[in-house]
Amino acid sequence: MQRITIDPITRLEGHGKIEIFLDEQGNVANSYFQIPELRGFERFCVGRQVEEIPILTNRICGVCPEAHHMAGAKAVDAVYHVDPPRTAKMLRELLYSAFYVTDHTTHFYALAGPDFVMGPDAPVAERNILGVIHKVGLEIGGKVIQARKYGHTVVEMIGGRKVHPCTSIPGGLTKGINEEQRQQIEEMGRWAVDFALFSLKLFEDIVLKNSTYLDLILGDIYTHRTYYIGLVDENNKVNFYDGKVSVVDPEGNRIGKYAPNEYTEWIAEHVEPWTYLKFPYLKKVGWKGFVDGKDSGVYIATPLSRLNAADGMATPRAQEEYEKFYKTLGGKPVHQRLATHWARLIELLYAAERWVELATDPEITSDNFRTIPTEKPTEGVGIVEAPRGTLTHHYWTDERGIATRVNLIVGTTNNYAAIQMSTNKAARNLIKGGNVNEALLNMVEMAFRAYDPCFGCATHTLPGKMPLEVIIRDANGEPIRELKQNL
Amino acid sequence: MEKRLRTRIIGLGNPILGDDGVGWRVAEQIEKEIEAKQHLYPHLWIDIQKFSLGGLSLMEQMMDTDAVILIDAIQTGNQPIGSVYRLNIEELPNYSAGHTTSPHDTSLQNALEAGKLMGAQLPNLIWIIAIEAEKVYEFSEQLSLPVEQAIPQACQAVWEYLSQLEEKR
Repeated sequence: MQRITIDPITRLEGHGKIEIFLDEQGNVANSYFQIPELRGFERFCVGRQVEEIPILTNRICGVCPEAHHMAGAKAVDAVYHVDPPRTAKMLRELLYSAFYVTDHTTHFYALAGPDFVMGPDAPVAERNILGVIHKVGLEIGGKVIQARKYGHTVVEMIGGRKVHPCTSIPGGLTKGINEEQRQQIEEMGRWAVDFALFSLKLFEDIVLKNSTYLDLILGDIYTHRTYYIGLVDENNKVNFYDGKVSVVDPEGNRIGKYAPNEYTEWIAEHVEPWTYLKFPYLKKVGWKGFVDGKDSGVYIATPLSRLNAADGMATPRAQEEYEKFYKTLGGKPVHQRLATHWARLIELLYAAERWVELATDPEITSDNFRTIPTEKPTEGVGIVEAPRGTLTHHYWTDERGIATRVNLIVGTTNNYAAIQMSTNKAARNLIKGGNVNEALLNMVEMAFRAYDPCFGCATHTLPGKMPLEVIIRDANGEPIRELKQNL
Repeated sequence: MEKRLRTRIIGLGNPILGDDGVGWRVAEQIEKEIEAKQHLYPHLWIDIQKFSLGGLSLMEQMMDTDAVILIDAIQTGNQPIGSVYRLNIEELPNYSAGHTTSPHDTSLQNALEAGKLMGAQLPNLIWIIAIEAEKVYEFSEQLSLPVEQAIPQACQAVWEYLSQLEEKR
C-alpha cells in the first residue's frame, strides 16, 4: 500500500496533516485529515470569574477573536440570566458585521481567490495573494486593504481595542457610540456594500462565466449530500449574531430549530482512534460513519450550509443574490462544496448591508447599552455563527460566578467529518494509478479550503503557518517521493 | 526637531498558550525598562505592542513605521529549548507558496510584499528575535523553565537592535 502524507514540518508534534494511503494499483485506499487540537482550555478557565472568559476566549484564536468574544458574551448573559438592551445587541451585531466583512474579504481574495483567479493548475509560487494582485490589478488589492481597515476601525470603536474586543460584559457593553462615530461607521458601511457588490461581480466574471470553473464547481468530486445547519432569525433568515440554529436534511427539509441551551439534545460527538479531535454529528440522526445521505448524522456549518438552512437573507440585495445562487445551481439545497465560495460572497454583501442598517438605526447611539444583572449566575450557552461555522460556548458557574466547567464547539470542528469526507473523495477521484503531482494535490486541498478550516490558534508561533509535507509511500509503507515547499 | 525613527517593538504570540506567550513576556519586560533606558535612544520614537496575529493582520500593524523588532516563539527542533535566535525576515520559511494546513491567511513575507504592492508604507527594517519553544499546544500562562530563563537574553537582543538603529541615524 502506498502512503501519501501531507505533514507539518516545523512543529515537533505531528498534528495537522493529510495522509493518503494508496493501494497496490496506486489508487486511493483511504485518507485521514488530522488537525491540531489545543488542550486544556477548560482547565485553564475553571476557577476564573466567568465574565473574564469572553476576553480569554478571544485569545484562543488570532483569526476570529471577535467570534469567540461574541459567543462568550452571549453565554455570560445567559449565565447571569440577563437580556441586554436592544442598543447593546445592535452594537454587538454591528461590530460583528464589520468583522464578517473583513474575514470573508480575506478568505475570498487571499485564499480562495488564488484557486480561481490563478487556476488550480497554476504553479504554487503564483497561487497566492501576490499572484491574485498581479493578475487582477493593484487597485483591487488596495480595496481589499481598505475593506480590512474599515472593519478593524469599527471593531476598535465598539470593541474598545484593536483586534481583540473587550467591551462585552454581562448584560451588554461597557460603552456606546456617539453620533460622530455613528456617521463614520455608516460611511464605511456604505463603502463596504459597494465593495461586496464589486466582489460578486468579479466572481461572476472570473468564475461563473468560465465554463471550466463552473464545471468544477458543479462536478461530483466536490459534492456531498449532508445535513446543513445555521443560525436564523424569527423569519428563518440568515443571522450571524442571534436566533435559533436551523437544521435541514439533505433534501432541504427543515427537521427542526434549536435554541442555544438545547444544543446537547441535537449535537453529539463521535471519537475516532486516529485523531484527538472529535467529530460532531446530529444526535437525532445518529453516527453512521463518514458517509453522505439522509441516514447519516454528518452535517456542515459553513456559509453554504447557512444559506441552505435558511429561507433567505434579511437584506434586499443579498436576497437577490441568494435567489440567483439557487437558480444558477439548480435549486435548494446546494450540495457542491466549491459553491461555498460564492455563498461566502453573498454573506459578505449581507454583512455589509446589515452594517449600514444597524448604523442607521435611531437607537444605535442610545445610552441604554447595559442591563445590570441581578440574578444569581448558574449556567449558560451562547451561540453565534463564526465565519467558518456555528460557534457554541457553554459555561457553568458556582453562585459567585466562578467558572466550574466550560465546553466549546468551535466552527471548524462542526465540519471535521465533512472535511474528512471531502478530502477523501477528492483524493479518490483525482489520484489514480499512483499519479500524484502538485496540481492534483492542490485540487485535493481545494476540497478542504472551501470549508475555510481555521487553525489560527496554532499559527502564532513563527513562521506563522503550519506547512504541509507530502510523503508518498509505496505498498510497503516506504516513502518513495517527498514533496516540500521551497524553504 | 529632527524626525525620529519610528520603531515598533512587537511581542507576538498567544499569552495563554504556554511558551507561545514568550514574545509578550519579553515585550512586557521591555515596557518595564524602557523609561530608564529611553535616553540612550534619542533618535528613536519607540512604541511597544503585543499581538496575537499573523500574515495580513500583522503586516497592517507594521504600517507607518520605519523599523520593527518582532519577538516570538519558534519551533525548529534544531536547538535546545530556550535558545534565542536573531533572524531576518528573509530567513523565515515562506509557507504560503505551497501546501498549508492553515489556509486562513498568508505568510508575513507575502503579506508584506502585497502591502508594498498596494502602496502601504512599511518598514525598511524588520528584525526578528525568536525563542525556541517547547509547549505551544496546551493552555497555560506559564512558560517552561528554559524559555522563562531566556527572557533576559531576548531583552538584551532588543536593546542591541535599538542601539544599532540609534547608530544608523
